[in-house]
Amino acid sequence: MTAAGVDRPAPELAPARAGGSGGPWRAGGAGRAGLRLAQLHAASRRALTCLLVLVACAAALRTALHWLPHTGVLSRQIPLTIEAGAAAVIGVTTRSPFGEPERATGRWLPWLRLALPVTLAGAAVGALAAGSASAQLAYGSVGLLRDVAGFTGVALLAAAVLGGALSWIGPIAYLGVTLPALSGNWATPWIWPARPPHDRGAAICAALVFAAGVAVITVRGARDSTRE
Amino acid sequence: MTAATAPVTAPRSWRVPSAAGPARLLRLELRRSPMLWLLPLLAAAFYVSTYRPAMDNPPFWNIRSAMLQSHTMLVFAPLLAGVGAWVGSRDGRRGLADLVGVTAVPRWAGRLASWAAATIWAELLYLAGVAVLYGVTAGQGAWGGPLWWPVAVGATTVAASCAVGFAAGERLPGRFTAGLAALVVFLALAGGAFAIQDDATYAQIWPLNVQGPFPSDSYGIFHPYLPDLAIAQVMFLAGLAAAALGALGLPATTGSRWLRAAAAAVTVAGLAAAGTGTALAGTARLEANGMVIPALHDAASDRSAPYTPVCGQDAVPVCLQPAYRAYLTDVTTALGPLLGQLAGLPGAPVRVTQVAVTSVQSSPSNGIGFGPPVIRGRPAVLYLPLSGLTLPGEGSTPAAAFISNLREQYLPEIVNEFVGLPAGTGPNAVNGIGVGTGPGHQAQFTIAGALRLVVKLYLQQPPGGRLPPGAVAARPGGIASQQAAAARRFAAQPPAVRHAWLASHLAALRAGRVTLSEIP
Repeated sequence: MTAAGVDRPAPELAPARAGGSGGPWRAGGAGRAGLRLAQLHAASRRALTCLLVLVACAAALRTALHWLPHTGVLSRQIPLTIEAGAAAVIGVTTRSPFGEPERATGRWLPWLRLALPVTLAGAAVGALAAGSASAQLAYGSVGLLRDVAGFTGVALLAAAVLGGALSWIGPIAYLGVTLPALSGNWATPWIWPARPPHDRGAAICAALVFAAGVAVITVRGARDSTRE
Repeated sequence: MTAATAPVTAPRSWRVPSAAGPARLLRLELRRSPMLWLLPLLAAAFYVSTYRPAMDNPPFWNIRSAMLQSHTMLVFAPLLAGVGAWVGSRDGRRGLADLVGVTAVPRWAGRLASWAAATIWAELLYLAGVAVLYGVTAGQGAWGGPLWWPVAVGATTVAASCAVGFAAGERLPGRFTAGLAALVVFLALAGGAFAIQDDATYAQIWPLNVQGPFPSDSYGIFHPYLPDLAIAQVMFLAGLAAAALGALGLPATTGSRWLRAAAAAVTVAGLAAAGTGTALAGTARLEANGMVIPALHDAASDRSAPYTPVCGQDAVPVCLQPAYRAYLTDVTTALGPLLGQLAGLPGAPVRVTQVAVTSVQSSPSNGIGFGPPVIRGRPAVLYLPLSGLTLPGEGSTPAAAFISNLREQYLPEIVNEFVGLPAGTGPNAVNGIGVGTGPGHQAQFTIAGALRLVVKLYLQQPPGGRLPPGAVAARPGGIASQQAAAARRFAAQPPAVRHAWLASHLAALRAGRVTLSEIP
């Protein structure tokens, strides 16, 4: 490879520049550019891979629900594990491959950081709900929504503290603490997976954690580490 | 002097002695392992998942040892697999695989050093947690000594989790690998729980399984801890770790031919060990003292552990195993009223002796059933198992609840045993009185019901109280009503009259030769 071609535009940018007199901003408008920006942001976070993993999680949930008993601790353990896994994968997408230089690129970055995890969390809920459709999921869709939101919040908070690549530690560790509580009689709403689906305190706690995680990721982003 | 005349010396500085290189690399890895950063989190997880629940239980070595295997590993294994994958994928993530592949130390040895560093830190933390928990337990005056086999299984699970995760990270480096490795290990553990509940043949190998369906307070006190299942689990886990680590040395870039041959041998040996452990676990069977694997069983483990029982000072003394010394008063309070009623009667127990179990039988869904107390021997001794009962101090159980549970669970069985009803005969009560199926049994049920009334043990309905949901009301004039009336009549007799009648009629009552009309 030589340096002869380094000043050429990237292939995917070439048609946009060639198609208009003033570049993509004038030709396609801000909306098209914003969409392109969102696409690039999602690609840099491996959002597509994340979506594929979420689909795999939904398939795993569907398979598990076919075999699992409808009551008892096991009927909660395995779905919860899959939900935590989905949240862990969402947390990992917060890792930026560019590190600190990305923070100086413009004012849209916080919005992109907000949109991606929220969209992926919605996709996770949708995929898992679809996976559990026509099967009996303990605690139902309300419990699923609460638990996925809470786990995602934990993952995002862990991303802010540990870095995006290690954010999976948050939901996995929280899950490990939660599972013994399923067979116990823990009453704290902060262990929301062990609470009934219509427990208001548990729902509030999960929502608070999700909101805190999204807020921190939006404002600060995942922790950058030069050592990865 | 020119260069032509300079003495020729062999280059030596780049040559690394075969053992010193990996050792130095291990020291470097120990300093830079990401596991170091995870230690505070693992310590917190140990506190929440193991230490706190352990302190919510009475200081029994068996209960706390079991937690070090089941509770701790449920949290540690997925996290360690994830971090192992993170460590294993390091070179791949950073694009250094080709670069480190040409260093002096063979690549397989270098990768093993990375795994070893992460594993050493994790093992140190786990063993520190074990030391703290066992130290506190010893300080609380637990009887006997710590059980080490659950710790051995836990330590092997730590190494195996790191190895499996490491191998996954090495093979599939990527940002999702670590999280997915943790998730897969979690799902494997949950799947194992499902398999063991489904009574799958080989599911006993599940690393969180301590002694099959036995409650953790039912083994390791009256008899030595049976290590059969733990040995099979260690074989399985060590084999899994060896296979995962050996597979890392198989690619052509990882070292010389001899090194790859050694890696292949390690892989095969690991797979063989894992398979053997699983096969052995499939032969495990339930026995009175724990899970027995015939091929691994040591008959010496079946001998009772020596101890001097702790006995009360009542007319019918209650003797407990010293580990249960704190519950002597509660057990005496629960049994005392009934023992006082029976004292002096032919065949009445002269002593209560605690035993591990009287009998065990497995039940579906990895369940277990313990036999009731039994009266045996001449002079008669009441053998009392306390395994499986919720002890005072377990969770938030007060002593009053323990006494109440003991009375409700065991007194009817002791009474039934005493009057000669078949073992396992439930109260089958109507208005608090069991319904007999024949003339002889009618009298036995009636006397049993009367004795329960005397000691104020109302299983179904206290006199004048309401029937519990689902209970059947006695039909006026029916046999149940006649039994209830006879029982109340007998219970209302003066103690001396009751005692005298029982003394003279007990043998006939047990033989089923007493009719309702003979009861005063």
